Amino acid sequence: MTEHLKCADYGPTPSISAGPVLQAVNISKSFPGVLANDQVNFELAKGEIHALLGENGSGKTTFSKMLAGLYTPDSGTIYIDGQPTALPLPRHAHAAGIFLIQQNFSLVERLTVAENIVLGLKEASLSRRKYKALVARIEEDGRRYGLDVEPSAYIWQLSMGERQRVEIIKALYRRARILILDEPTTVLTPQECKQLFAGLKRLASEDTSIIFISHKLPEIFAVCDRVTILRSGKSVTTADVREEGMSPHRLMGMMFGREITLSSKEPAEGDHAEDTLVLDEVTCHNEFGRAVVENVSFTVKKGEIFGITGVSGNGQRELAEVVAGLRRRSSGTVAIAGRTVRSGDPEDAIRAGLSYVPEDRLGTGLVPDLSISDNLVLKNAWAPPYSRFGIVDQRAVKALAVRLISQFGIAGQPQSLVGQLSGGNAQKVLLARELTSEPKVLMAGTPTRGLDVSATDVVRRLLIEAAKSEIGVLLISEDLDEVLELCDRIGVMYKGKIVGIVDRRLATPDSLGLMMTGMTA
Amino acid sequence: MSSSIEVSLVVSGLTYGAPLVLAGTGELLNERGGVMNLGVDGMMLVGAATGFWTALTLPGPSWFVLLVASIAAGAAGALMAALFGVVCISWHANQIVTGLALAIGGGTLGLSSYLASVGNLAGTAPRHIFNPIDLFGLHGLPGVGPVLFHENLIVYLSWIATAGTAFYLYRTRSGLFLRAVGEDPAAADAMGVNVVRYRYAHTILGGFMAGLGGASYTLALIPSWTNGLTAGLGFIVIGLVILSLWNPLLLFGGAFLFGVVINLGYVLDTRGVTVPPEFFAALPYVAAIATLVLLRGGARRSGGPQALGRPYSRVG
Amino acid sequence: MIRIERRLSLKLWVRLCVPLGSLLVAFVIITLLLFLSGVGAWSTYSAMISASITSTSGLSETFVIATPIVLTGLCATMTFRMGIYNIGGEGQLYMGAMAATAVALELHGEPGYVIIIAMSVAAALAGCVWSLIPGLLRAYFSTNEILVSLMLNYVAGYFISYLIFDSRSYWRNLTSAAGQVYPIGKTIPAASWWPAPSLGGVGIPLGLMVAIVLAAVCAVCLRRSTLGFKMRTTAGSVSAARYAGLNVRRLIVVVMLISGALAGIAGAVQVGSASHALDPTGLEQVQYGYAGIIAAALGAFDPIAVFAAGLLLGAINSSGSILVGPSFPIGLTGTIEWIVLFSVISGGFLLNFRVRWRPRASGHKAGLGRGEPTVPSSSEPTPTLAGGIGISKSTQVTERGAR
Repeated sequence: MTEHLKCADYGPTPSISAGPVLQAVNISKSFPGVLANDQVNFELAKGEIHALLGENGSGKTTFSKMLAGLYTPDSGTIYIDGQPTALPLPRHAHAAGIFLIQQNFSLVERLTVAENIVLGLKEASLSRRKYKALVARIEEDGRRYGLDVEPSAYIWQLSMGERQRVEIIKALYRRARILILDEPTTVLTPQECKQLFAGLKRLASEDTSIIFISHKLPEIFAVCDRVTILRSGKSVTTADVREEGMSPHRLMGMMFGREITLSSKEPAEGDHAEDTLVLDEVTCHNEFGRAVVENVSFTVKKGEIFGITGVSGNGQRELAEVVAGLRRRSSGTVAIAGRTVRSGDPEDAIRAGLSYVPEDRLGTGLVPDLSISDNLVLKNAWAPPYSRFGIVDQRAVKALAVRLISQFGIAGQPQSLVGQLSGGNAQKVLLARELTSEPKVLMAGTPTRGLDVSATDVVRRLLIEAAKSEIGVLLISEDLDEVLELCDRIGVMYKGKIVGIVDRRLATPDSLGLMMTGMTA
Repeated sequence: MSSSIEVSLVVSGLTYGAPLVLAGTGELLNERGGVMNLGVDGMMLVGAATGFWTALTLPGPSWFVLLVASIAAGAAGALMAALFGVVCISWHANQIVTGLALAIGGGTLGLSSYLASVGNLAGTAPRHIFNPIDLFGLHGLPGVGPVLFHENLIVYLSWIATAGTAFYLYRTRSGLFLRAVGEDPAAADAMGVNVVRYRYAHTILGGFMAGLGGASYTLALIPSWTNGLTAGLGFIVIGLVILSLWNPLLLFGGAFLFGVVINLGYVLDTRGVTVPPEFFAALPYVAAIATLVLLRGGARRSGGPQALGRPYSRVG
Repeated sequence: MIRIERRLSLKLWVRLCVPLGSLLVAFVIITLLLFLSGVGAWSTYSAMISASITSTSGLSETFVIATPIVLTGLCATMTFRMGIYNIGGEGQLYMGAMAATAVALELHGEPGYVIIIAMSVAAALAGCVWSLIPGLLRAYFSTNEILVSLMLNYVAGYFISYLIFDSRSYWRNLTSAAGQVYPIGKTIPAASWWPAPSLGGVGIPLGLMVAIVLAAVCAVCLRRSTLGFKMRTTAGSVSAARYAGLNVRRLIVVVMLISGALAGIAGAVQVGSASHALDPTGLEQVQYGYAGIIAAALGAFDPIAVFAAGLLLGAINSSGSILVGPSFPIGLTGTIEWIVLFSVISGGFLLNFRVRWRPRASGHKAGLGRGEPTVPSSSEPTPTLAGGIGISKSTQVTERGAR
């Protein structure tokens, strides 16, 4: 596994004192049909940064939510400072000093930073005097830990990195002793990452204990002291990161029980393939008049996988929507398989040969309330052979579903509702539909997000196969590993513009990381 | 006391807008918490019937009867809202359908008429009504006098409601938490705000205000009973809440304008302009549609609470 | 402790028991209400049943009343299924009635069946026009169709009142003796009165047969047709519908047109089978448009069930109108319907959740899968099972972006 984030090693935390500040013993939690945590054991020392490592679906988020009082364990006990403590509600966790910062932040967009920080506090008051004290405290904490925020700014104005800082300041304001961060780096540039880690180390040295949930090994090595591995809902082992001989490979072995290599693609040779997707000076504005995509031009060739990467929120989603016709473009042209497509017309793009696997799997790509077979036929249901004289031919639909379910190994019946499938299975349905519509261009937005390793591998292989069948693949992903292992050429987006396009053989994580902050290569 | 046409228009705007303000501030708070109660019409009617009935049957001095009647009217509305709350907040039923059921069920063919029949309200003359009160004896002032100092208690209540709601929403902790609940209940929940309790509290309050608004008619403005007395006004209230962009001060302004329009017919009539009465009766509704279109009044865009109409549950 | 969890599957016996149980609960509540208001419950029930079902004239009257309710119920069903709340059935019915009356009066002298067909077509068109307004506004301006369609109900009501009460319009009867005293509408020619062939003494109105056919057509449309598929897709997710190339705006308008046509025909039926004239007072009193919404909700927005619910409401209404008097106050009908509706909506809760008695703190091992729940861990509303009453996920169709 490549180490794409060369975060400097920050050294061991100086003041780890004896006696765990938090202990979870035999914690179990189940939901209808699913056992999320199975007798999990976990222990956190004071002033340490302890990683919770596991792939998607291993139970990390469920466990953290129980510590935060959002869920209640079915069995097992949580000890705080040696005392068994019940945490039925978030406020109990807050009283115990535990604070969870989730991946989708608990911030109300339409309120200001200051308002969010006092949200839910009994002593909150909006009087002038108290407000000034609050602002002073926010600024002081900000300076101290490198987490500057503007108290009167509205959340919707802030970037993801800034919002994360607000969350941490919020926790500190409430005298958090235990911080739980759930996948904090997904929304940060490499530079912001470094700032975060420095802040965390500072906090740990002042006796704040931190649980760092992640599935990215290099980060864990950079900043954590110990790591506990979760697999399939069980706590597998706890290891000391600084121990002799500990390496990402060993950890990975403990995570999966074996070494896993994900499929990757050989870079395509030569330039002789023809263009299959051409964007020329595409610009698009949002409802506030701001340009979210600005003068983007690039081409994707047949048989190539072209990657668009960057920190999420820099226009990638809007770019994909423009290409798919879901969003009007203000200027520029998009040509699919040699034909210019009309702006804001999804049907035109589909007819021209575009297949789109959207980022929003269950909202846009699939309809959760409909069955697998309905979803598989979604794009072609209005015309023969599935629909004649306004009536849908149920047998033809079912036949298609049966065929695709077996071809792609989807776990489910044709009539199962897609909303009840696992993430990986749902993605398979989506890909099955898109790949079998004989597209000329396949556009995939963060296709492996939230999937476990085996599903990720399946998706990767399908993308590689698509490229092999002379389809031009446009892969939009924030995962640098994925992009470096699958793509032939990589474009980096920053604030709606393409900062640079690099050949994969010449790209390095550092150079890409630099471009992601806006500096051209 | 002299009155010119402008003053009488202003007064009628304030007077006929007052019930809309009362019911409207209740629904506004309700919706700020993320719950959309379309049953305002039904609650207003039931409140009107309950208030009138209480005023007819309760013995005692006028101020006492009116006080109890108002509270009874509010309580009736609150009860209906509580029912709505259980079905929608706790049991996640579709708020639109349930709200409509409440409106129809309390409406002309439903509960309010039933109460009216049981209580023999139709055609009975009222025993106690709210009369305009003279404040500080200043009603003689030209222009301003009749407007500010010679209004019905209901009108003063509507002013208090408006100011109170604005203060509550933007300057108190509770109001802040309410706004958070309406925008992002998950975030509020994670911060320890009891989403369910806030929603219930404000839904029931909304019902109380709606009942009170309805009673304003039978206890003050049109002190008599006919089935379906205030039918349709509840829906105008809902429209007003949306058009006011969930801002209490704008709500007051909108209600005032509607009060004016409602009475425009009579006023013009006295000036000898004869237009069929149906035209003026329909005018508020047409105006509502036009304003909705002009202001692009979708329910959740343009400033509406993000979580409006969506049930909330913490998974697990 | 008692746990409430979301259902994963819906067995048939649950689907049948819950609505029936709700009706039972409603029955109990109504009995209580009658008892509290000093009216004999049992006598009321038996009077209602004999007035509406067991007597032949009563049953005929029930059918006449039920028909417009079924049609307006179908009107609501077709749009509510898509998350578009057309509650303008009342106004669309009025406009349909107006158009049907005009056609019937104008075609005086033509054979009956010609007039009847013309009435239906005109009524459907009038209803379409009235539903087109909220439809277009919704599709192209994202205006809240609930409020617009509702406001138009009142506008339509005042309009037809104006035609009879305050104008010397075509519809108004100015010649007869009664018409000189009090404004009433002209009676349509006898040939255009909709027939009600007798079956064992009970009159089956033509309108009812039309309603049966239309209910079947709606059912087929929703379940099997391309249009129904498009509607299901849009109801599930607007962005998915657009992504799949659907023209959502056009779909909204089409569905609203269908809906308006149905309500318009209800107006024609009412004029042709019951009032035989344009009768604003009568129409506003019976409020068939709103009754239709109740029928649609009772029928869980399934056309066949809505038909049955319409018949039930017809029976309640018919007994109400026959029995009205001191022991049967005018608001009782609506109140009964309301209690029934509320019970059924509340029962809908049980269709989506189940109450479990779970002994404390025992891990649940047998037969469960591993891993995170399929629901994303943020509190997104999980997809409901289609068919629950009052579609629980608030399906507000919102538009954004291109087109």
